[in-house]
Amino acid sequence: MKSAEDLNRVMEAYADMVRRICFVHLKNRHDTEDVFQNVYMKYLLHEGSFESGEHEKAWFARVTINACTDWQRALLRRRWVPLEFIAEEGAAVDGTSGEILEAVLKLPEKYRNVIYLHYYEGYSALEIAGILGKKENTVYTWLSRAKGILREKLGGEWI
Amino acid sequence: MNAFQKSMEGIRASEELKENTLRYLEAQRKRSHGRRYVLQYALAAACLFVLLAAGGYSVYIRPVSYISIDINPSIEMGINRFGRVVSATAYNADGEEILEQVSLKNISYVQAIDRLLEDGNEFLAEDSLLVFTVISDQADTILAELSADESLKTYEMLTYTSDRTCMEEAHAHEMSFGKYRAYLELVEYDESVTVEDCHGMTMRELQNRIESCGNHGESGSGEKHRERHQERHHGSGN
Repeated sequence: MKSAEDLNRVMEAYADMVRRICFVHLKNRHDTEDVFQNVYMKYLLHEGSFESGEHEKAWFARVTINACTDWQRALLRRRWVPLEFIAEEGAAVDGTSGEILEAVLKLPEKYRNVIYLHYYEGYSALEIAGILGKKENTVYTWLSRAKGILREKLGGEWI
Repeated sequence: MNAFQKSMEGIRASEELKENTLRYLEAQRKRSHGRRYVLQYALAAACLFVLLAAGGYSVYIRPVSYISIDINPSIEMGINRFGRVVSATAYNADGEEILEQVSLKNISYVQAIDRLLEDGNEFLAEDSLLVFTVISDQADTILAELSADESLKTYEMLTYTSDRTCMEEAHAHEMSFGKYRAYLELVEYDESVTVEDCHGMTMRELQNRIESCGNHGESGSGEKHRERHQERHHGSGN
């Protein structure tokens, strides 16, 4: 079991990323809190060690994505209402950003992951393939399709 | 910073979320620690209990002394270090019949003998001779207790001590070591006697043979049989 110091450190380092991945996947604040806690609980119970900070970060990204997917499977019957969530974020999201986020949240789940990991975290297709456990080519395909959808909705200047 | 990054920039983990999570995890950690310790203590206690119980049980069931009771029924009792009967074996048909009717285990050997005489008195005749043969490091204590036993005083009784070698030989002949000791005594006087002959004799009959041979035989041969301690107690009536 990890020490309290470890927990504080990874909380500072990855809380925002975990929160954002949750935001990309989940419907509301309550779900986010639950998944957020689950992710850190998994870290607390994680027995292995990490080779590097990068390795650790990628672990958090993967575990968060999986936790979100699991969570949604459990809540499959609920309707997906991204706007509610954006509204919950309130002041944090203004006009243009709101549009971008709304478009991203309407993407199929697999596209949301690659868009976030690539455009926000700056991971390469190869790295994303590692995190998601997919082939690099699959990631390329998803990325280009997601970009296509966003371009259609937001125009060329979305990025 | 690209537009997407900018749009996501406002999405952050609030201090409240972080703190709540840390508090939650700390509580989980304590719970699982507590649980783990409780589990460890419980396991340790259980192991200790099993060890002690197994150790205690193995000490309890191990006989350290033996008493062979021979009248006509022949029964051997194993006695643990607490003076309790932990085994009872019959060496002839009468003995088997008694053991089917009377439970001798887990009571003191004096109680066991009293119970034998009470419940098995159909096998006792007025002139029955009770022979007690003891194998023990504390043979003297056992013999003293037997002599002091009130319920034995109405019978004629002989007590002897023996040893484990003798017991092994006796068991090889499917005979109790008490009766086998008497056979060994008789064979000193009369070499023609076989173990098989003795199987069918009561202790009274055996003793009569020994005494009649002893009286007619050469003097001085009485104590020759394997440095066996011999002591006679006759019932108060005689």
